[in-house]
Amino acid sequence: MSAAIEPLVQQEAAPPKRPGTLARLLREPAAAFALVLVVLVIGAALLAPVLSPTDPFDNDLSLAMQVPGSPGLPLGADAQGRNMVTRVLYGLRVTLLMGLASVAIGGILGALVGFAAAYYRRIDGLLMRLMDVMLSFPAILFGLALAAIFGPGIQAVVLALSVATIPLMARIVRGSALAVMGLDYIEAARATGMSDARIILRHVAPNCLSSIFVFATLRFGQVILLGSALSFLGLGAQPPIAELGAMASDGRNFLFFAPHIAVIPCVAIFAVVLAFNVLGDALRDALDPRLRT
Amino acid sequence: MGRHAVQRLLMAIPVLFGVVLVGFLLMQVVPNDPALVRAGPSATPDVVAAIRADMGLDKPLYTQFGLYLWRLLHGDLGVSIINNVPVLQELGNTVGPTLELMFASLIWSIPIGIALGTIGAYRRGKLVDRLITAFAVAGGSIPVFFLGLVLIWYVGFKLQLLPFTGRAGPLWTEEGLMGIILPALTLGGTFIGPVARMTRTAVLDVLGVEHVRTARAKGLGEFRVVTRHALRNAMIPVVTLIGLQIGFLLGGAVVTETVFSWPGVGRLAVGAILSADFPMAQGTIIVLSLGFILINLVVDVLYAALDPRMRA
Repeated sequence: MSAAIEPLVQQEAAPPKRPGTLARLLREPAAAFALVLVVLVIGAALLAPVLSPTDPFDNDLSLAMQVPGSPGLPLGADAQGRNMVTRVLYGLRVTLLMGLASVAIGGILGALVGFAAAYYRRIDGLLMRLMDVMLSFPAILFGLALAAIFGPGIQAVVLALSVATIPLMARIVRGSALAVMGLDYIEAARATGMSDARIILRHVAPNCLSSIFVFATLRFGQVILLGSALSFLGLGAQPPIAELGAMASDGRNFLFFAPHIAVIPCVAIFAVVLAFNVLGDALRDALDPRLRT
Repeated sequence: MGRHAVQRLLMAIPVLFGVVLVGFLLMQVVPNDPALVRAGPSATPDVVAAIRADMGLDKPLYTQFGLYLWRLLHGDLGVSIINNVPVLQELGNTVGPTLELMFASLIWSIPIGIALGTIGAYRRGKLVDRLITAFAVAGGSIPVFFLGLVLIWYVGFKLQLLPFTGRAGPLWTEEGLMGIILPALTLGGTFIGPVARMTRTAVLDVLGVEHVRTARAKGLGEFRVVTRHALRNAMIPVVTLIGLQIGFLLGGAVVTETVFSWPGVGRLAVGAILSADFPMAQGTIIVLSLGFILINLVVDVLYAALDPRMRA
């Protein structure tokens, strides 16, 4: 008798559970697919040295331009006879690192500006006008200018994309920080004599995390698109570095004889950017309904 | 609106100054001595010194900056290190093709983007909407050069339908028109997605508004409700957002020009940077920035003119 009642009691005791962020995210098939793709891509990039069948710079001219599906070359070989599987894995690594560095550097600096503007109202106007000025330049112009100043290279691209990310992140962070700043508990924290840095870190920042996370995910896709475009133009990663944009640029020279050399890295970029964009959109819907469009 | 326009103009001043300063700094960090480059490898030290004095390179930095500003205001951007052609002349030849390409890309992609966005909003949540949204997200994720290379390979090379290198003539000639189709499809193709998404959001905002409900209530046909009452009011944010995307378009144009060997400013800039032709790089970057600032300014003022609420 008592055994039959027990489960009932347990059911009543458990509070109605709100589905977690991950569960809400995975409910959307496209988002679940994007998440899997992102995990796979990051895994492939991290494990490139283990997964790659050859060294990324090993070339065998007798294999040059072998089509995908040739013996031992599922994705074919490039014009120097380098295994495309290896090149794509290493290319993902460099491209993702480039994106990660840009979003991290630009994002952190931008977040600092955003918190400062929201917290210290006196410098808000000045900081945000400065951000407006930076926003009036498209990222590609930063890329061109910095490549002209420092010479083409990955550093110039990362610097340009970081700079272009700062004002965007600053606006997002300022917006969500301002929404929290007016609340009573911040006032209470101030009254207890907490330092500014501590209030921002302990009480303001955690409430901005979801917006930051959503923005960073979406920005990652954009940064990869821009960075690979700069590399494609020859302003970013320089050959023989395996970087997806630079690989596409190299393949462009052999487009009519061996289109796979250009198309494979292009497809890889497209897949990565698409995955991050879909995931970013889904995260926004799941985490931050205010930002929903 | 007048006040708004003046405000935006004032805002443009520090931006302009920043551009000019970056241009100046660019010439300061040049690894090679410009006077030495100009003089050539066989010049005697006397000649180099004379050229240095002539270029004002022996003066203090702030005097050089003044000189540089003076020259800029007189349209003197220097001469190319590579072929000795005045930078301004080269720019004059390339601005037209770039504007042409942008025009040809926008003229078909904006209407299609707006139509797709409107249909998506109207059929919100339905299969059509989901398909359009998926298409828009995919379109916004595709590298410009990918689209360009695929079109070159398939339409240009395999089917031999359209030319894919260079610009054969102005837009109003047959060769010019045929030659711009693939570049314009490429650049415009990446623009449809963002326009469709922005339009969908803007129309969704408007569809729920009272006057649209009133229009429905008085028995207007659905097509009229959407086009006359919803889309029209959604146009203000759409125009602004499209204007803000011009930077995105500019980036796409630089890549498209390179892929199709289109003789525009973007290709000139990339070529100059890759060959370390600093005066040319400086000139192209300044002109691209100026163009961008100008477009933003026009969009801003246009926005104020379109929206009666901004006139207060």
